Amino acid sequence: MAAPEVHHLFHAPIADHSFSADRNTLAVARENNVDLYQKSGKSFNLQDELRGHDKTITGVDIAPRSGRIVTCSQDRNAYVWEPSKSGEWKPTLVLLRINRAATCVRWSPSEAKFAVGSGARIIAVCYFEEENDWWISKHLKKPLRSTVTSVAWHPNSVLLAAGSTDGHARVFSSFIKSTDERPEPSAWGERLPFNTVCGEYLNPTAGWVHSVGFSPSGNALAFVSHDSAVTVVYPSAPEQPPQAVISISTQLLPFADLLWISESEIVCAGYDCEVYRFSGDASGWQLTGSLEAAKGGRPGMEQREESALNMFRSMDLKGRGGGVEDTKLKTVHQNTINTIRVYQDAGGDVQKVSTGGLDGRVVVWSL
Amino acid sequence: MANINWRTINVDAYDPESALNFPITTLLPANLPAPSTSAESAQIGQQVRQLLRAGDSLGALQSALETAPLAGDDSAKQVHHATVLEVLQGIRQSDVSRILNEMLKQPGGTALGDTLMKYIYKGMASGAGGGGKGMSPQATGSGFTQIQARNFGEGGGGQVMSVLLSWHEKLTEVVGVGGIVRVMSDRRTVAPCTKLGRHPSNNCQAQ
Repeated sequence: MAAPEVHHLFHAPIADHSFSADRNTLAVARENNVDLYQKSGKSFNLQDELRGHDKTITGVDIAPRSGRIVTCSQDRNAYVWEPSKSGEWKPTLVLLRINRAATCVRWSPSEAKFAVGSGARIIAVCYFEEENDWWISKHLKKPLRSTVTSVAWHPNSVLLAAGSTDGHARVFSSFIKSTDERPEPSAWGERLPFNTVCGEYLNPTAGWVHSVGFSPSGNALAFVSHDSAVTVVYPSAPEQPPQAVISISTQLLPFADLLWISESEIVCAGYDCEVYRFSGDASGWQLTGSLEAAKGGRPGMEQREESALNMFRSMDLKGRGGGVEDTKLKTVHQNTINTIRVYQDAGGDVQKVSTGGLDGRVVVWSL
Repeated sequence: MANINWRTINVDAYDPESALNFPITTLLPANLPAPSTSAESAQIGQQVRQLLRAGDSLGALQSALETAPLAGDDSAKQVHHATVLEVLQGIRQSDVSRILNEMLKQPGGTALGDTLMKYIYKGMASGAGGGGKGMSPQATGSGFTQIQARNFGEGGGGQVMSVLLSWHEKLTEVVGVGGIVRVMSDRRTVAPCTKLGRHPSNNCQAQ
């Protein structure tokens, strides 16, 4: 495992981050603005700032092919930023028609629409209408009972998974006649008009769902919730009980985000400030380890050698004989990890992932 | 018209979107045990005590945890809580780690570990001083509650507390912080409703 690339951008929480398709541009949500960083050599330098939102930005996503950036914020708005020839970014306001904060936003794989989850118990699915030259939003309301914390798209760009603070992870159909092609029938359903609920899943311990994700093929759904559990659902057929719902209760602190790296492996990260891997299939899943396992060998030994000197020095200075490094966590991230995104994938298997956290770091891990 | 005191009308009850009208039952999984009464809990308590007296501590603990009245009414929960406390106090310190490891190795063991952690926290909340946390939260300053706890700490309360603390330590070694997080986020509780809930919590209906 190669060492992770750490980019310590600033000393403020990063709510969401996204890389452009060529990985040379990094968009990072920082309070009310989005900072765009450009890669030069091994590090990222601040290149541009997207200003427009009045309140904290809660979601950023860059569409890989078109390069458009969508941002959503607690001011109940979303903007779509288009790159122009001169390097300026032109924002277009999207009327979401919600009366609470927007919490998360993701482009669909087809990039013709994006979904915004909000605290108004609504998911706004927005698509571009040519006649009016305007982004229109359609609402997914029933049966959401509480704030939507995360949204994830199925590869066919019609099915949308949503995790919510009412403890459920649901799969909706967001089929829009003018924009989408009819999807192929799958284990989730066949005829799928807008706002059909293809499945509703609940953990026995029913914690808030922090993140959801479809497997690369779309045939399985995983979600992480606040009861320190990862649940994987394998549907069998529409209107039938699922083939398997496997819930792994961990001994760790809850996870905040998850990512499928192949059909049988998931990486999760959260309040433990570490990235963990899970592997399994429809018969069972287990925790296989942390991405930080490589660390701890050399730094530990160096610490022990000089610890006698430093112990007495710190006793003199600070009045306690504690270790030198006890103000820093042993993990790379020094605070909760918020988001995990794909950095590099080759033919379906993800090789590198990037994580962003509350400590202002974006770290790229090799799997 | 003047007879109606408008201020006493609870407007939240009429608002379909308010927290008061949130259907808590939607947060409970479909596989809850059937609702039970205190009579049934007393019966279960008898069986558990027999197992304990016969020396089968693992069996007693397991059956006590498996039959936890997650969907029962308040009196059932209280009776069962007393049973579990008896079992915990009846097991020797040296046996605790062995029993925990055996219990958690079995299928469904993690659920039992979570239930045990819930009982330990419930016991700690009501153990020292007979309702230290159950009473009003802002009644006395922190100084007074400490003195209170210390006074009641001798004798019965302190004994239960030390037993619970040692169980907590051993259980955390096996279940980890995840188990503690699950105690806080699980809607299926083993404790009777606290009276100071401002919004519906646990299994209580809206007030």
